Amino acid sequence: MNYIAAAIVMFAVCLVGFGMCFATIKSVESSARQPEAAGKIQTILLLGCALAESTAIYAFVVALILATSK
Amino acid sequence: MDKKTVIEAVAGGVMFAICLTGYVHASRKNDGAVLTKKQKRVKKLWFVGLIIGAWFLTGVLITWFSGKKFRFAIDFEMFSERIPLFGQFTVAKTTLIAAGSSLVIIVLLLLFRIFAIRKFSAGKPTGVQNAVEAAVEAVDKYVASVVGTAAAKGLAPYMLSVVLFMLGCAFSELFGLRAPTSDLTCTLALGLLTFALLNIYGIKKHGVIGRLKSMGGAVPAMRPVMIPLKAVSDFAVPVSLACRLFGNMIGGMMVMDLLKGVLGGYASGLPAIAGLYFNLFHPMIQIYIFVTLSLTFINEATE
Repeated sequence: MNYIAAAIVMFAVCLVGFGMCFATIKSVESSARQPEAAGKIQTILLLGCALAESTAIYAFVVALILATSK
Repeated sequence: MDKKTVIEAVAGGVMFAICLTGYVHASRKNDGAVLTKKQKRVKKLWFVGLIIGAWFLTGVLITWFSGKKFRFAIDFEMFSERIPLFGQFTVAKTTLIAAGSSLVIIVLLLLFRIFAIRKFSAGKPTGVQNAVEAAVEAVDKYVASVVGTAAAKGLAPYMLSVVLFMLGCAFSELFGLRAPTSDLTCTLALGLLTFALLNIYGIKKHGVIGRLKSMGGAVPAMRPVMIPLKAVSDFAVPVSLACRLFGNMIGGMMVMDLLKGVLGGYASGLPAIAGLYFNLFHPMIQIYIFVTLSLTFINEATE
């Protein structure tokens, strides 16, 4: 039962993938339009991706706790 | 030792031998002369075959000697195993690894202080001095660009030491040990340090009442509602930092474990290439993100 719950929790990861994809699309667009700001955009992109990724990480940690607890 | 193992070993050996002779032949034939494009390609092809043959042969031999076919079982634990130190007093294994890696870093830095810094000159920097100065200056500049020059004076050395500590942890994973940052206790300690710094710098800037006021926002009537909300989000900072770092590190560790489990006895060479990404590059990105997020939260508190 715990393993099924862990598998359901990991579903959050696919939505996080979409979120990070949108962020990357926009950053590529904006750095193509304004190449001189590419460095700044890259920093912001990394930060935003880290924040978006944290959702996936929380899901992963919860899934780990579910899978390892008896 | 069954028939299949013998066939596999003989096939690996024959492939290795053929590719070795082919490679030697291809490289000796044109000694002195310039190789044409086609000859270079043939030589490269022999070399690839040589590597694959050697890898296959090693895998067969390792599986034969260890007696295990495939080792696909993850013995994963949330917290690392504990080692008894003095009788009943036990210490987590990752704590010892963290202490060891810090000790190595401290000794290296001491040696650096004694032998390298003495030769540094105030004039034109050369060689090692150039690299070290560039690195320290980059960290200083980066911290100052986020939190401002006043706070950066105290924060830049702390952030550089955090980076060094976490790099040491990442390198300990390359030696087959469990990285201390893949233990929730270590990452929570780092997160609590950030939380303490956030409050110290906030109170230093505004004073206790000023900090509460800045937490409440600009409208005085909203402050009783806003201050608890802001306090909750401040208490979430160490938890989120700790969980982020822990999850990322343990994810990398589990991917490597899975790879080793799938390959079984053939796990020679390939995990080293994957380890470059999962044990070195990935932790470096996480270090960068940890430092950036800590600085951003501290900057938010001082504003």
